[in-house]
Amino acid sequence: MSEILIKNASVCDPAQGINCETMDICIRDGKIVDSVSENAKVIDAEGKLTMAGGFDGHTHSAGKINVGRFINPNDARKNLVPGLSGQVARTEKTRAQVGYNTPNTYAIGYRYAKLGYTTICEAAIPLLAARHTHEEFKEIPILDKMGLSLFGSNWQVMEYIRDKEPEKLAAYIAWGLKASRGYGVKIVNPGGGEAWGWGKNVSGLYDPVPNFDVTPAEILMGLAEANERLQLPHSVHVHCNNLGKPGNYATTIETMKLFEKVKPSRDRQSLHVTHVQFNAYAGTSWRDFETGAPMVSDYINGANHLTFDLGQVIFGPAVTMTADGPVEYANSRMLHEKWSNQDIELEDASGVVPLFYSPKSFVNAVQWAIGLELALLVKDPWKIMFTTDSPNGGSFVNYPEAFTYLMSAKRREEVISGFSKMALDRMVLPGIDRELDFYELAVMTRSAQSKIYSRPEKGNLKAGSDADIAIYDILPGQIDPATEYQKVKKAFSGAAYTLKDGVVVVKDGEIEATPKGRIYWVNAKVPENIDSPMQKDLDLKFKKYYTVSKSNYMVEDMYLENPVEIGTEGVF
Amino acid sequence: MQVVKLSLKKANKIPIEADNVNPDNFAGKTAEEIKAISVWHGNGQFPLGDLFNVEVEGSDSVENTMIVFEGDVSRVKRIGQNMSAGEIEINGNVDMHCGFGMKGGKVVINGDADSWLGCEMTGGEIILNGNASYYVGSGYRGEACGMRGGKITINGNTKDYLGEHMCGGEILVKGNVGLLPAISNNGGKVVIEGNATMPASEMKNGTVIIKGEVSDLLPSYKEEGTEEVEGVTYRKFVGDVNVGGKGVLLIK
Ligand SMILES: [Zn+2]
Repeated sequence: MSEILIKNASVCDPAQGINCETMDICIRDGKIVDSVSENAKVIDAEGKLTMAGGFDGHTHSAGKINVGRFINPNDARKNLVPGLSGQVARTEKTRAQVGYNTPNTYAIGYRYAKLGYTTICEAAIPLLAARHTHEEFKEIPILDKMGLSLFGSNWQVMEYIRDKEPEKLAAYIAWGLKASRGYGVKIVNPGGGEAWGWGKNVSGLYDPVPNFDVTPAEILMGLAEANERLQLPHSVHVHCNNLGKPGNYATTIETMKLFEKVKPSRDRQSLHVTHVQFNAYAGTSWRDFETGAPMVSDYINGANHLTFDLGQVIFGPAVTMTADGPVEYANSRMLHEKWSNQDIELEDASGVVPLFYSPKSFVNAVQWAIGLELALLVKDPWKIMFTTDSPNGGSFVNYPEAFTYLMSAKRREEVISGFSKMALDRMVLPGIDRELDFYELAVMTRSAQSKIYSRPEKGNLKAGSDADIAIYDILPGQIDPATEYQKVKKAFSGAAYTLKDGVVVVKDGEIEATPKGRIYWVNAKVPENIDSPMQKDLDLKFKKYYTVSKSNYMVEDMYLENPVEIGTEGVF
Repeated sequence: MQVVKLSLKKANKIPIEADNVNPDNFAGKTAEEIKAISVWHGNGQFPLGDLFNVEVEGSDSVENTMIVFEGDVSRVKRIGQNMSAGEIEINGNVDMHCGFGMKGGKVVINGDADSWLGCEMTGGEIILNGNASYYVGSGYRGEACGMRGGKITINGNTKDYLGEHMCGGEILVKGNVGLLPAISNNGGKVVIEGNATMPASEMKNGTVIIKGEVSDLLPSYKEEGTEEVEGVTYRKFVGDVNVGGKGVLLIK
């Protein structure tokens, strides 16, 4: 039995409505408990902000990131955030680290832990490449991990939707989650990945996918129906059509509206829209491009069925990586940048393009503003997960910097003062004076995630929850984040303590221990009489089209370290 | 003037990373201090004095410091990395990355150089009295800019990808070069007195002059009359049109 007593912590735990109150936290055998014995090891947290471990609900940290690594080997030596990037020699406790946007797997684990994060969700697992994702997961220390499997341009999915076979569709989703050991349903530019196989894209929700005679709207509704039929812990996770295009805010709102009629099967949203910054653009071209954040935020403020994450831009080098193949082609042509393009056979497309966000570029400046506008104009922080869509908008190691933008209007003004007049005319950020407090920040970085992913043991400090805890050397009430934002950044850049399952993994901003994290995956139950005809259809796909056999396709148990199987009961 | 003479105590198979070995780091130091400077040898760090005989004459500023390598150092990498002034003379063959990121001063090599000679240098001069291998004056893998300034003179031949991603500076090769010299050139000047194959592909900017024979001239260059340089008339080509380039390629 191992016991820890965290004494006199200044606790901020929105799940319990605790707003920076001084209290003790008791830990026994990796869980938070009500009390511990006198023999408990004591951590003195007096004067320190204490929250549940951070939870990054949308990050590209395993799988596609590897394409980023080999398209950009020079990233290995980039050190833009000292202490959280660049080349670090191995130590007794840690392996060698390299990189900034695309660090090696070990560095990803260490650096998230230093920020006080303990759980991540990889945002895109192509079923066909899932083994690789899990091989990388295995080598990311400390963190608990889960991943979202891609279904939005999948032949089997589109055929079942076209042929109106919702039960078989649900059976296929359940099988796909098992095959990839995924946690939820990711939809990227629905139908667009398939269209890209023909050098095309879909132009909106009602533009049929070539050769399949289904529309993106039908794909979204079909997958949402299957998602709820299987009672999955997460809602569908949608990267909308027309991402990255001026005027796309309309598509985004249209997509959100479509889901008003979807009834969630669990106590959570029926739709999660991801990296909305890239999908909240107004204007008709890059010349009259401007923010669409006010319109999108207005809609979200009046809606109760959805959540979203930001995809905040960080100035400097980034690497875009997405299953949205046509977007990456457009990026590479427009920016004259390196381009990787992949065909995921019957399932999707994929692309990777490095880029550089410059405050001097009016487009980049407006993109930067849009992320913050969304965070500040949407009133309810429980609808928002803070992300940079790392490394699409910028590397996660910049989170502490981004927190200062959310918490300080003065800090924002400092950045904005470098923008051109043209950029200022196209954004509303300078007129927003809202500043988030530590409580709201805790919601956006851990508590909302717990709810959005139905992981009640994460993102809070209730008795029974996992003892994943971040203790930061800063005391709300004693500092003013609006003016002392450098202190905020410093405190969040290296936790005084990070505990993972009750083990001190970070102390004074340095790695103390590197235990292995868990892998969460969802096993949704489907009746035999529905599963077996679906398997027959699938066998035909493997026989006729796939380059691999079904038996070589499944992610086997040996790929998973500390797997946690989340069982759900399908309703048929 | 300060002169530091280095010679290997015994020939090494496992490479030594001599990225600390430059006038900036040696100027004003005694033999004992220089011997104590640690360098990587394989996966361990050792005092320079364990690997090299070190002799020091005089003590002076960086500008007036000269390092002389006697004998073959063909398994010693990164000599002169990031140096800003002074001089290095190598009397033998040298390993990869010599003069990497050099900002000033001079390196003279009386022997052959392995790959990546003078990569990403921004100033200073390298004179190679021998042959060079691949990627002279190029960029680090994945980087968009290689050499940005300074001059590399090669009195022998070089292999492929000479001056890849150059953004400035000048390279002069007296002998022949391999495949794709000045690939992705974006502002550098490359003069090749010998022969070259497929020069200046994806050149956006800069000048490439080839006095010898050119094999497989790329079709993505437009011929625009002639140009005279130092009394010699060349056929003038502009491109690479594949990248909307405005580079000038002069050939006989
Ligand atoms: Zn993403």
